[in-house]
Amino acid sequence: MFRYALRRLSSLIISLAVASLVIFLVVEVAPGDPASYMLGINAQPDTVAALRAELGLDVPRYQRYFDWVSGLMRLDFGTSYTYRTPVAEMISDRMRVSLPLAVYALTLSTLIAFPAGIYAASRRGKAGDTAVIGLSQLGVAVPNFWFAMMMVLVFAINLRWFSAGGFPGWEKGFWGGMKALTLPAISLALPQAAILARVMRSSLLDMLDEDFMRTARAKGLSRRHALWKHGVRNALIPVLTILGLQFSFLLAGGIIIEQVFFLPGLGRLVFQSISQRDLIVVESVVMLLVFAVICVNFLVDLAYAAVDPRLRTRT
Amino acid sequence: MTLLEISGLSLAIRGTPILRDVSLDVAPGQIVAITGESGSGKSMTALSVMQLLPDGAETTGTIVLDGTDLMTLSEGEMCDRRGNDIGMVFQEPMTALNPVQTIGAQVAETILIHGAAGRAEASQRARAVLDRVGLEAFPLDRYPHELSGGQRQRVVIAMAIALRPKLLIADEPTTALDVTTQAQILDLLRGLVDDFGMGMLMITHDLAVVADMADRIVVMKDGEVVEQGETQALLHGMTHPYTRMLFEASDHVVDLPEASEGAPMLRVDEVIRDYPTPRPHLFAPHGRFRAVDGVSFIMNAGDRLGLVGESGCGKSTLTRAILGLEQIQGGRIELDGQPVFTGKRPNLAVRRKMNVVFQDPYGSFNPRHRVARLVAEPLHLLDNPPSGADRARAVADVLEAVHLRPSDADKYIHEFSGGQRQRIAIARALINRPELVVLDEAVSALDVSVRARILDLLVDLCGQFSLSFLFISHDLSVVRRITDRVLVMQAGKIVEEGETEAVFTAPQHPYTRALIAAAPVLPKIEALRA
Repeated sequence: MFRYALRRLSSLIISLAVASLVIFLVVEVAPGDPASYMLGINAQPDTVAALRAELGLDVPRYQRYFDWVSGLMRLDFGTSYTYRTPVAEMISDRMRVSLPLAVYALTLSTLIAFPAGIYAASRRGKAGDTAVIGLSQLGVAVPNFWFAMMMVLVFAINLRWFSAGGFPGWEKGFWGGMKALTLPAISLALPQAAILARVMRSSLLDMLDEDFMRTARAKGLSRRHALWKHGVRNALIPVLTILGLQFSFLLAGGIIIEQVFFLPGLGRLVFQSISQRDLIVVESVVMLLVFAVICVNFLVDLAYAAVDPRLRTRT
Repeated sequence: MTLLEISGLSLAIRGTPILRDVSLDVAPGQIVAITGESGSGKSMTALSVMQLLPDGAETTGTIVLDGTDLMTLSEGEMCDRRGNDIGMVFQEPMTALNPVQTIGAQVAETILIHGAAGRAEASQRARAVLDRVGLEAFPLDRYPHELSGGQRQRVVIAMAIALRPKLLIADEPTTALDVTTQAQILDLLRGLVDDFGMGMLMITHDLAVVADMADRIVVMKDGEVVEQGETQALLHGMTHPYTRMLFEASDHVVDLPEASEGAPMLRVDEVIRDYPTPRPHLFAPHGRFRAVDGVSFIMNAGDRLGLVGESGCGKSTLTRAILGLEQIQGGRIELDGQPVFTGKRPNLAVRRKMNVVFQDPYGSFNPRHRVARLVAEPLHLLDNPPSGADRARAVADVLEAVHLRPSDADKYIHEFSGGQRQRIAIARALINRPELVVLDEAVSALDVSVRARILDLLVDLCGQFSLSFLFISHDLSVVRRITDRVLVMQAGKIVEEGETEAVFTAPQHPYTRALIAAAPVLPKIEALRA
């Protein structure tokens, strides 16, 4: 198990190194010079050159890459071209919204999906199964921003249980923050839960046809016990894969939901930075997201091994 | 006194009749074998006793175990019986165990769910049961993937007998195992029946195993019992033509035409095939597993050569190397003086001279192609493949050669039975008139009657096409009948080579002797009648 973890860790480090290089190159070759963009089209060439020097854009590329990477390691992400504030600060402000939102949404989606999937699988072909499939069909088909707007309409405008948008900050207390994130988390979670429930259901149904489930029944386990004791853990592998993918998506993919609820999250930061050619922010956020995705994948790999002993010995 | 009494059992699944009026008895300490070909309903009879039938099953009749009609019990009451009064062992040990639970936990579970003991005692008893089935050396915290097939089957048996059930049902318990392992598992089962006084209902298609093990034999065909009786009585006086056909087909003797003395064709010289194993640690080089270790032999044109050995001995690996599908790490393989593998890929000039028939008639065809296209596929190896009417004629000819109709060319593969599919596979292997046909377990998945007909076909084709073939099989009795010469392979090496009859009558190598001794032998019908 330890060796397995070590191997996954080394592949994590290699992935990070490759990712940083690719991100740097892509952002570098993207058209548009931040200095001339910031100064407008009428700027004098020498002013642009001076700003380029000030932003550190005049040194060779490889030098800038190493500066950037070594900065990342010291959590020094550089200074935003547009706002002239440290990027690290901007990102950490946004992470305080985006990270809890992602975790919240993922927790909700797991809490909805697991029981729904298991329930549907245990009732294959019956009314309960059909209902779960129908609902998940709906969850996948309806866009989450529509859910979001409907919920604002019902819970914020009509019932006045929640505010329609904005984020008060964690300083005003934990529950206040959580309350502000509830509607966005639900709208993010529902489509994810729909997908996850389907994966859980079909993965479990595959397990029901396995020989070892018949063996379990032959020992005297009831259908339900066999499903719980032997089916669920075996069915988890594909579910974990989807779960890992979903977390990565939730961290930055909530741009539309952040817009709907007017939340100062990472997605909006990326969007703004791209439109303002604030390359250093874009680079840093993208790198951070890559880091998060790779870390989540690492955790998923460890979870696989925890679930399935066959993976522990395989290197 | 009877332990299990099935009478008038009929079963239909979603309206399709599966079993009709099946009646049989099992007494304590008695082994009753149900035999028959696939689709005869023997497994469904077993599952009816367990009440573990697929959804949509409707049964009538009575299944009385120890005075209680199981058909009248509720599902909850049935759960109490399964594992407690009736244990069951399945065919496929590789998949019958939960891969993510330790063997100890899985054996203890049988004891725990029936409330026979607390957790600590259950695990002690699991230890004792695993010892009884011959797994003394295996700690309880092993996982199934750390065990071989035979060992896993022992775990499955341990789970089934943990509570000393009155009845043990074994559904093809040794079909997936090698002969030597099969012999050990059969010994174990017989020992358990004697020790515990259990009744055993054994389902198997292998008549040699049946004749060897059973006190009573029940022969089934198309969901009906056609004949049953005490083993010796039935063997000596089988009355039903189907029973006789089964026994004759199992021991089907073919009339192999005299082998022609040909020139050396396939030359295998000191072949080595290594597989990389995982690195011992991160920066170490890969380890090596030597699957084929210095194998040499020569096959002449017209030879019918057999290759036997148990699973994992390297025979499939050697087959792939001969077909030029994989690179070898040492030695040479030449067909007609040319290497089968050049550079990084198969040598097409040689590749067109040989074809292969695989074991599984269900998995070796693309289901979306018509038979004409499937059969004509090897033609692309030729420089000038026939097209249009020529191609259609080639397909028709070869289909007729394997006793199918030319019109079958327009059908899809799912429209054919297993035996017919294997004929199509043979037609595909013959269409470009190869010099060598490799038959890799080509009759192993077939019922005895179908197998007998395929063997006849091969003999027939030997005459028509002056066929040379390499016949790879774990089934010694078939190899004995269909080959002139045989190679015995063990752990990557050829340990014995010679004329087939000579090797079988006077084996030299201890491994060959062990193999032949372990293989159950079907009593000769003529001898029984005499």
